[in-house]
Amino acid sequence: MDIEQRQAELIDHFVKQASNQKGAALGSVIVEATSQPSLFAFSEILAVPNIAEFEGTENSKYLDMLRLFAHGTWSDYKNNAGHLPQLVPDQVLKLKQLTVLTLAETNKVLPYDELMEELDVTNVRELEDFLINECMYTGIVRGKLDQLRRCFEVQFAAGRDLRPGQLGSMIQTLSNWLTTSDNLLISIQEKIKWADSMNEMDKKHRKDLEEKVEEAKKSLSHKVC
Amino acid sequence: MASSSSSGLTFKLHPLVIVNISDHYTRVKSQMNHSSSATTTNDDNNNGAQPRVYGCVIGIQRGRTVEIFNSFELLYDPSTHSLDRAFLEKKQELYKKVFPHFYILGWYSTGSDAQESDMHIHKALMDINESPVYVLLNPSINPAQKDLPVTIFESELHVIEGIPQLIFVRSSYTIETVEAERISVDHVAHLKPSDGGSAATQLAAHLTGIHSAIKMLNSRIRVLHHYLVAMQKGEIPCENSLLRQVSSLLRRLPAIESEKFQDDFLMEYNDTLLIAYLAMFTNCARYNILSFLPDFVSF
Repeated sequence: MDIEQRQAELIDHFVKQASNQKGAALGSVIVEATSQPSLFAFSEILAVPNIAEFEGTENSKYLDMLRLFAHGTWSDYKNNAGHLPQLVPDQVLKLKQLTVLTLAETNKVLPYDELMEELDVTNVRELEDFLINECMYTGIVRGKLDQLRRCFEVQFAAGRDLRPGQLGSMIQTLSNWLTTSDNLLISIQEKIKWADSMNEMDKKHRKDLEEKVEEAKKSLSHKVC
Repeated sequence: MASSSSSGLTFKLHPLVIVNISDHYTRVKSQMNHSSSATTTNDDNNNGAQPRVYGCVIGIQRGRTVEIFNSFELLYDPSTHSLDRAFLEKKQELYKKVFPHFYILGWYSTGSDAQESDMHIHKALMDINESPVYVLLNPSINPAQKDLPVTIFESELHVIEGIPQLIFVRSSYTIETVEAERISVDHVAHLKPSDGGSAATQLAAHLTGIHSAIKMLNSRIRVLHHYLVAMQKGEIPCENSLLRQVSSLLRRLPAIESEKFQDDFLMEYNDTLLIAYLAMFTNCARYNILSFLPDFVSF
């Protein structure tokens, strides 16, 4: 899909930069990557070994920040604000966009109240502006805004980076889908057979009826004569 | 005579050409049947059941790709075993005016396999195009056959028994469609049987269409499932962008479970049932109305 294509170049660029740098410079690479407006995928950068080295050192908060952007939401940031470095406005925006994506993971219909709470937005106008400008125009989300029912129906949401356990649940969903479509195929075949057999019965019935009519006509004509 | 080609040219065939050739053959064959039942004809060359028709194919050659767009018929002169040259040139000129980019790429004929006499025609065309293609359509209908009965032959210079000779070699081809062609081919594929007035056969045909579509979807999902399982077992390195796309896809499921859908669906179902009921009513009641009517219009 096009989002992935747009991101592919940026991902390569940042992975290269990350593998070439070390230490504090790497921290600035991470900050740059997370402020980049069209980049939403961070698991490749997370996988770079130089960054994994950050674990446990004083720069570990950069690693945590990267993990937050890969899997977390805006409320996670607010709860852990002490441990994480200050976010620039670009990063704040991106984190909010990623929050919307995470919310879209679980429900297809997102009520405005929940969205306003998660995104720290107080009025509906601001929320709608955010959704329209930052989410739909960038193409990460597609859906309909229902102001009367105060909800946002999501039709399509770009994928976020996968948590380690999600692969299993994805496989489960796929196998459920497969079994459902197999059952559907079987029931369609049965319906086709039913339609054919009903057709046969109908023809037979018609033929019987016509034969009876013929007989009745003949018997009448004999009686007259 | 025919082995597989090694010239490295890619052939792209448009469905219009196939339809043209089969149309030409069908016309000639039905005219032959019609006229032979009325009078005896002189068309003894067209042996019995399978007349051979000939024509020219035109298209564009860009580098190594040969794309065959269109075709037109030619007259075959059985006495000299060659195609009518003057007619070919006149047609070529006419087509050049309408399609300035198209060149004569070769010729076509019908039959079950390429024959020796075809080589003469092939050589005759070699002065227009130094390597013409020969498109052969097999008009015999074989219900067990799954592929198109169209073969494309090229000519290659092979040394056989010390003499360099031109022989035909088969080439593979792909079918390429323009949007307009796709629409018409789709339309032809969906033709219902002409007496398919019975509701059951139409229903069966419709259901069969849906069935094959779902089957294709099913196989694709199976591939995805297999891929993910292999990735989980570690046989394939994890490719994150694909996983992201799959996860965004899976989030669109379940697609048909909301309450609103159930409501709308039931409403439409009820409407259809009601209309069917009403139609059946009217159907039965017309006899009754005819018997009531004299009472109502009595003067």
